[in-house]
Parts: sequence; C-alpha cells; structure tokens
Amino acid sequence: MSQFDKIAVSFNLNGKDISVRTLPHRRLIDLLREDLHLVGTKEGCGVGECGACTVIVDGKAVASCMMLAGQVEGKRVVTIEGAGLEDGTLDPVQQAVLDHLAIQCGFCTPGFVMSAKALIDENPNATLPEIRRAISGNLCRCTGYEQLAQAIYQAAQIAAEELDKKNQAVTG
Amino acid sequence: MIVYDFVRPSGLDHVSQLLASNPGRSKLIAGGTDLLVQLREESEALKSIELVIDLSALAHELATVKEEDDALVIGALVTHDMGERHPLIRREFPHLSAACASVGSPQIRHLGTLGGGVCNGSPAADPVPALISCDTDVLIHGTKETRSQPLLDFCARIGKDALADDEFVTGFRVKKLARSAKTAFVKLGRRKALAVSRLNVAVVVISDGADRIESARLAPGCIFRVPGRVTAAEQYLTGKAVSREAFAEAGEIVAHEMIERTGYRWSTPYKEIAVKAIVADALCHATGLEVF
Repeated sequence: MSQFDKIAVSFNLNGKDISVRTLPHRRLIDLLREDLHLVGTKEGCGVGECGACTVIVDGKAVASCMMLAGQVEGKRVVTIEGAGLEDGTLDPVQQAVLDHLAIQCGFCTPGFVMSAKALIDENPNATLPEIRRAISGNLCRCTGYEQLAQAIYQAAQIAAEELDKKNQAVTG
Repeated sequence: MIVYDFVRPSGLDHVSQLLASNPGRSKLIAGGTDLLVQLREESEALKSIELVIDLSALAHELATVKEEDDALVIGALVTHDMGERHPLIRREFPHLSAACASVGSPQIRHLGTLGGGVCNGSPAADPVPALISCDTDVLIHGTKETRSQPLLDFCARIGKDALADDEFVTGFRVKKLARSAKTAFVKLGRRKALAVSRLNVAVVVISDGADRIESARLAPGCIFRVPGRVTAAEQYLTGKAVSREAFAEAGEIVAHEMIERTGYRWSTPYKEIAVKAIVADALCHATGLEVF
C-alpha cells in the first residue's frame, strides 16, 4: 500500500462526468481496469509499444499505460465500453471488424478499434495508407492485419457516406 | 513498485516552488512516454522519487506555437503529433515536422512532447537533431528568473548542471532559417513504426541561385554521446557545388568524426557505412537530387 493519500480525479468517461479517488501512482489503465472494472481495455506490454491499451483522450488515440490517472483531470476519455451507442448499437468499426472476421484471439481488438475510431471520428475520408498509419502502433500477435485494415476502410466509407447524407440534409 | 505523490501545479511559478522544495525527490511528467517506462523498470535514478509534478496540467500555456519576428517559440508541451502537423512548424522547419512524424506510434506521438524528449536526454530522440540543426535556444523558468540557453550547451549539460533545482524547460526559441534554406530529416530504424532510431540525421542546406552551397548544417543523432553538429563536414560543403560526390564526401567526414569522438565499437563496421549513406541521402533529399 502507498503511504500517499488518494487523489481526486474528475473527468468525462464514456459520456458521463465522474469523480473518483485513486492512488497517486495509478496509471490510467489501472484506474480503468482495477478501480472502475472496465476490463475491455487490455494491458499488453505496459511500455507503450503494443497498443492493446489504446483509449481515446480528448479525441486522440493514446496508450493508457503511458498516462497517470491524475493526468485525465478535466478530459474526455472514451474506452471500448463507450465506443458504441448506449442502446447496444456497435460503432461502425466494431461492426466492420465482425463483418470481416477481423478477429482471432481478440486481445488486441479493443486497441485496434479505438485507434481506428479516433482516426475516423477525425477524418471519415481516411485513405487506406492513412488507416495503416493510424494502426501502426497496434500489434496483432495473430497477424490479422489485412482483415483489420479492410474492415476499418469499410467503416470509414460508411462513416463518410453518413456524413454526406447529414450534410445534404442540412444544405437541402 | 515505485510509489509517489502526484500534484497538478497551478502555474509556472508553482512548478518552480514545488521543484525547489523537493530537490532530488521530485520529477516532472509531461507526456510521460519515457518516464512511465523508467518508473515501470524501477530505474535506479527514480527510486528516491516522492513527488510527480504534472506539467501537462499547464498545456494551455506550454502546448503552443507562436511566431516572433525572426523565430518560432515552440512550447515544451507541444506533442510530436502537433510538431508534425502544425502549419508554422511545417512551413519554417519541415525537417522538424518530419522528425516528429517518425517518433514512435500515433499513441506515443499524441502524448510525447518536444520538451520531454529533449530533457530525457536520449541520444536517439528524433526531433533533437532537427532542433540542433537550427539556432535553438532552450527557454527556462525558475523562481528568480527566466532565462535561455543555446540548445547545444543545454544538451551537453543534461543530467549534470543544465538546470538548477527550481528550474524547468518551458519551450524553445528556434530562429527561422534563410528563405533559400532546404532541409531534410532521415532516420534508420529497424521498422517503420515504434522503432527507436539506430541512426538519424537532420540537415539544412543554404545555396545561392546557381546551386553553390553557401552554408550547411549537419546534425546526426544516435552516434555521439551528446547531440552535436559536425562542423568539419559543414565547412567542407561550404562553397561546393550541389552534387552527389560532395554529399558522399560529407558522409565520409561524418563517419570519420563518429569514430574519432566515440571510438571503434562492435557496431562501428555497420554504422560507418550506414551513417555515410544517410548523411548523403539527407543532403540529396534536401537539395532535390536523386537519392543514392
């Protein structure tokens, strides 16, 4: 046990404002998995190289093993549990991963989904090379990269079409 | 496991006060991509740490890029992702943008900062040679004064006396290059993503309209204990015509200097050939010649 008191951290997690108390040396991934029991985010290497622990902080894909819990104060954090809609509808990336059977053991999947979601949320018109770069920090030990790249590309196309429809509805 | 307290400072002066009252017991965290690895490895240097000060709480002040008359002031908390994308950095220092783009992975570039990269003092940091190839001053905040110091001097003293107990780096003032300056950054890593550089080099070449080199800056990374330029190669290039032969010779001079400064090591037979090639490649890239 630490001789240091717990610290308070207030942030938005998966769309809800929360305040928690946690040990000051806790990393973001520890806060998510150990304190909040959100175990969808996986810890692979623990040194920022495998991408299994990827979450989205203020719109950017980051390694949750490389942040201290206290550093998310005031920020918006999205984990795999918050990727889809509350009614259970999957994010287009999640659906595309299923459609393309882009899963083998599944351990890397949440990290890949979050890297891809961060890219598509920012740029639905992402090209295949941009997609490959966006997931370059995610390792798949089963080496199913091609299916993942194709799945994410399809998800991007769906997102781009939906954005077009929305824009037409606004201008029309 | 190393345990410590965590504090979010309220401003620059607060950071200096916290550092001054916890000498040897405190550590700053910016992006955390080096520090959290070192903490996990229970690095000897961090065993006495009792307090981690979250500099990232001051992102509104220190994650900015501002244009001054003849320079850009790049905040210490500018991330590698921002360094890659920022329009002012892309316009003024394209080789710095390229160096930032080659760091780690997206997840690391979104967290890791230029200030953290410099202060961590790794000889393999990608943005450092690009900063060294320009006239860069380190901006330093302390309880009594703010001051600046040339980056070359600062790098030579990191881990020794570069900073007083109460001081920390708030950013960099990078002097704009001449309009005719051409730049390049080339990196050799084991693979594209997530590979720490084995070798890298940043170059700046200023030539007249007739392709005669007026001046050149060569800043190789990874090959010296502390980052530096190779003035012998820069002097050789001055006055020469832009040519692959001259660039190959500059590469030879850099390789020679590497052995002079660091001795002949197990990796030297490889590095000697590789460093010649990346220096020549970078000079070709910068000046638009076909790469070897």
